[in-house]
Amino acid sequence: MKELVRLENIRKTYLMGRSSVRALDGISFVIHEGDYVAIMGSSGSGKSTLLNLLGCLDRPTSGRYLLGGRDVSQLDDGQLSEIRGRHIGFVFQSFNLIPQLKVVANIEVPLVYQGMPRRQRSPRSRKLATMVGLGDRMDHRPQELSGGEQQRVALARALANEPLLLLADEPTGNLDSRTSQDILNLVDELSDRGRSIIMVTHESDIADRAHRIIHLMDGRIDSDEVARGVERRR
Amino acid sequence: MKAIYKVTDIVLLGLHNLTIHKVRSALTALGILFGVWSVIAMLAINEGARYEAEQSLRQMGTDKLLIQSVKPPQDAAAAARERGALHYGLTLADSRRLSDNLPGISRYVVAHETRKSVQYASRLIQARIFGTYPSYLQLRGLRMYAGRFLTSSDQLRGRNVCVMNKSLARQLFLYEDPLGRTIRIGGECFIVVGLVERPAGLAPEAQTEMVTSLIYIPAGADHARFGQYTIIRTGSSRTMERVEVSQIIFQMADEPAVLAGAKVAETLLTSYHDRRDYDVVVPLELIEQRRKQRRLWNIMFFVIASISLVVGGIGIMNIMLASVTERTREIGIRRALGAKRRDITVQFLVEAVTLTTIGGLTGIAVGYAVPHIVERTLNIKAVLSPPMLAIPFLMAIAVGLVSGLYPAMRAAGLDPIQALRHE
Repeated sequence: MKELVRLENIRKTYLMGRSSVRALDGISFVIHEGDYVAIMGSSGSGKSTLLNLLGCLDRPTSGRYLLGGRDVSQLDDGQLSEIRGRHIGFVFQSFNLIPQLKVVANIEVPLVYQGMPRRQRSPRSRKLATMVGLGDRMDHRPQELSGGEQQRVALARALANEPLLLLADEPTGNLDSRTSQDILNLVDELSDRGRSIIMVTHESDIADRAHRIIHLMDGRIDSDEVARGVERRR
Repeated sequence: MKAIYKVTDIVLLGLHNLTIHKVRSALTALGILFGVWSVIAMLAINEGARYEAEQSLRQMGTDKLLIQSVKPPQDAAAAARERGALHYGLTLADSRRLSDNLPGISRYVVAHETRKSVQYASRLIQARIFGTYPSYLQLRGLRMYAGRFLTSSDQLRGRNVCVMNKSLARQLFLYEDPLGRTIRIGGECFIVVGLVERPAGLAPEAQTEMVTSLIYIPAGADHARFGQYTIIRTGSSRTMERVEVSQIIFQMADEPAVLAGAKVAETLLTSYHDRRDYDVVVPLELIEQRRKQRRLWNIMFFVIASISLVVGGIGIMNIMLASVTERTREIGIRRALGAKRRDITVQFLVEAVTLTTIGGLTGIAVGYAVPHIVERTLNIKAVLSPPMLAIPFLMAIAVGLVSGLYPAMRAAGLDPIQALRHE
């Protein structure tokens, strides 16, 4: 399988006043296309920092990050924006929809910055809305939707630009267990269709749905193992 | 092509955001509206004033040259008093010399002024009496209000007729019709045949004449009845003055001839007068002086009016900054989804400029009504021209750009990770 993400000895240091805090301390791993990886770790283990780096929201202090074969670790702000817009899909814990936009308009946001004309965007966003099961809610605003529905919109939005990599940051953290299951089933479905997914979570039963689990501790990889659920599901 | 789609979408986005906070947007735009309106009003009022001032001087005539007798300084007058009558000013010989020598004269008129008391019934009023000729009406820029002016047959027959200005007639006759009535001027009987008025909105010099009482009589009658001597009583003492000609008004061929004529007149009169007992007045130069003064006023008015636009701009900046803070999270989301710094900058700039454009357009619309409102309420003339609408509008847009830039840059400069965490 083709290599999608390659991290080589990634370090990230923050300056907190006088002292510097090492959030990531030499992380290296490879993720292939179609992988479904869960990143686990207690708070402060560096998983958010790692996700920001993977999502090109931030740059490593040192080390190399190859995304789809291209070194993105030293790109400037504009180029990183470009990469995010084209190749990354984000799903956040708190949904992060734009409140004044309707469902379809929210799904279209990444496409706007790609310069896609309205007449092409519209059918795509409607198709995606239908796919996540919101075919009848397309003209609602986020505050008129339940948490689960909002997260579905976020998923649709993350898929709008056909990303190389789908990044989910505790996507079920704000949902009750039943809607969580719905969302996770949807993610599983995407994975089954070959989507490459990296999900940050701190719940092991959610992580077990992934193919592979990476545990972080104090900015280092503690363990990197095949998930138990893989065998069960296949 | 993609860039165009993107920019139009971002522009639409900016517009859309304004419609979400309609009241806030409207109030902010209102600040600009008043700014634009006040600039337009200032410009229009100023232009109106300029127009009126020039109009009044034109009435007098930019092609006119006025030479007046002036009482010389006091020490010379004291010396003359010992010899009896004080003799000063222009003479008929002067008027002939000037009319023979000034280049480009088309016609001229002389007037002799004395001060006499005018009586009708029991009312007695001090007035300036001008002994003059029929052409004085046109050359001085007077307008008939009722009746007729002096005629050449009045002159030939030595009729005792007079024409007075409207304000004197009002004081002297109250509500009676003055035409055909007989009044006494310095004891002599004269029949009122006409009333004159000054065209509205005159130059200050002319306006003072307006309030004083003016009577015009034929030069022949003046000479025959009153002569050239004026007795001035000051307390118990009296002095006599003798002035042959008080005013000479020349009509010149064109404006350059006025300026040239003024110089020639000056040199000519200097050689015949040992004292400075005359004055050469060029209305054209007055106009130029006024223009210069007005330019200063113009700048000042403009600056004051512009301040209100700046205040409007500060209002916009304030709202935009609040909006950036309020939408920090949205900015973070957009950045995470691929928006570049430039995209965010454009989005917020569009909002600011749209606000000022709306304010500017409504300001222009209201500005159209300026002359109407000002003339009705303040009784001041206001004149509008296209640049007066365009300049404040462009200023408003510039204000939008300037006041929107800082908030927009601040929005674009936000760190996406921080912005996403913002509550």
